[in-house]
Amino acid sequence: MSAKETELHPLHVLQENNEPKSKFLDKWLNLWLKINDLGNESEIQQLRAWRENNDRKSREILDIWLNGLWLKINKLGNEKYLILEQVCIAALDCHVLSIAKTCIENLSQEFPKSLRVKKLQAMYFEAKEDFGSAIKILDAIIKADETNSPARKRKVAILKAQGKNAEAIKQLTEYLKIFMADVEAWQELADLYITEHDYQKAAFCVEELILHNPHNHLLHQRYADIKYTQGGFDNLEIAKSYYSQALKINPKNMRALYGLYLTSSSLLNCSKITTSKKKEASKLVDWTLKEIKNKYAEADVVVTALAALEI
Amino acid sequence: MATDLIVDTQIRFWVFLPIVVITFLVGIIRHYVSILLSSQKKVETQQFEDSQIILRARLLRENGKYIPKTAFLTRRHAFNKEEDGYLTQKRPAASQSMMTDPSMMTDMVKDNLTNVLPMVIVGGWINWMFSGFITTKVPFPLTLRFKSMLQRGIELSHLDASWVSSASWYFLNVFGLKSIYSLVLGENNVFNILAADQLEQMHEQMSGAAMAMPQDPKVAFKAEWEALEIIDHHWSLDGIEMKLLGEEEKTLSD
Repeated sequence: MSAKETELHPLHVLQENNEPKSKFLDKWLNLWLKINDLGNESEIQQLRAWRENNDRKSREILDIWLNGLWLKINKLGNEKYLILEQVCIAALDCHVLSIAKTCIENLSQEFPKSLRVKKLQAMYFEAKEDFGSAIKILDAIIKADETNSPARKRKVAILKAQGKNAEAIKQLTEYLKIFMADVEAWQELADLYITEHDYQKAAFCVEELILHNPHNHLLHQRYADIKYTQGGFDNLEIAKSYYSQALKINPKNMRALYGLYLTSSSLLNCSKITTSKKKEASKLVDWTLKEIKNKYAEADVVVTALAALEI
Repeated sequence: MATDLIVDTQIRFWVFLPIVVITFLVGIIRHYVSILLSSQKKVETQQFEDSQIILRARLLRENGKYIPKTAFLTRRHAFNKEEDGYLTQKRPAASQSMMTDPSMMTDMVKDNLTNVLPMVIVGGWINWMFSGFITTKVPFPLTLRFKSMLQRGIELSHLDASWVSSASWYFLNVFGLKSIYSLVLGENNVFNILAADQLEQMHEQMSGAAMAMPQDPKVAFKAEWEALEIIDHHWSLDGIEMKLLGEEEKTLSD
């Protein structure tokens, strides 16, 4: 390979000298250099890092792929297939179906029976909005391997894409009966219930999320949001506690601060409230209002500083 | 005295090298046979479900204090209720099905077929074929205790302990060729996997099979049921608003 490259170097010089030929040569030269550019390991390492962290940088992945990686894919050994899978999903995200198709064709040539490749095929049909074929493939996967959770999840995703929320909820609850420790599924179910305005059940799902991850302030805030939306004295009390917890974990959570203000002030209007609670709530209202004003004042400092710079 | 002993060169060509080649080739064949016979271990849905139930029950026990009391009690009821809670449901006894389960039996037979049988057959054949030869000498002096290890098949009381008999040479090869196999067959060969399996088993025994799927879910369920029954719910968010305010007031007064 190095011999070929030294062969090319005179061309490089030649191309600089005479202008008219240069465009054509330049194109091929670039292509040739790209094909042989194995020194560019950083892109592959970047892809690897994204794969390991489950980062969904679809646009960036596709850029790397189009920027010459597709030419040297055959030189990557066994990692080739992992990259093909990654690129395929990225292409589906960006709706570049032609690239996804070639990736799947390459993969299914190598692994004709693989369930993982079949799942990609189902996702391809899903992106084409050919939901019938996608579900057919997914059903075949589930039949072959009962514990294949990605396939079951994709079925729920299809139902959601079709707007059949009620059916998606039914499928997802079936799924959660088997895989009850699946955090993602609980999160999805909570979202679905919220869109269906079934706050009681959504609250249950978020409780499950809190059990799995008790130190995430966003979950506490979310639970409080749901409880506040439900309304009623008891729910407002709970909402107040959870907004406070969210604020305690992360004092910068503005939404929780505002939520705490809203819940406390609606608690003040409740008829059931006792005097001691009333005192506490009014204290909270005062405090949150002050905090919110402080936060805005801090923000204002930046605004006025910028304003001072303007002519 | 040992230096006086000269071993016939014919032994090198007809005993020493053949044993190496035979053990090596048998190892290669074993690798491919075990690939042919290996079946993907399928995780039963039931088993999967069981382990997830345990995981969820444990999370409830540990982090239950972060959810309101009613929510905690509903969940505990779902796990522990009398008839068919997740942890109290009736199951056919798993220990009986272990022996009658045909897939379990075939797995055991396959295991024996690829591991024990070739060892016995080839070992016996080599013992019969090449018995009674002195094959090689280890380049350092050894004490008499090594005689039983290195001079199997030769009962000479005044032979130096650093001489190796043919049968012992075979065993040395069997146990010593592992790194050669990983060189020839790649990292994922059957020998490395076997060694890893043994390590894992030892580890499991030591850690009390904490995360591993329990063979009999009933026992694990019972333990989890007990732990859930005795736990008291202390809501960790009790009075959190006052704490929030109290902290703020303190920082203000400072």
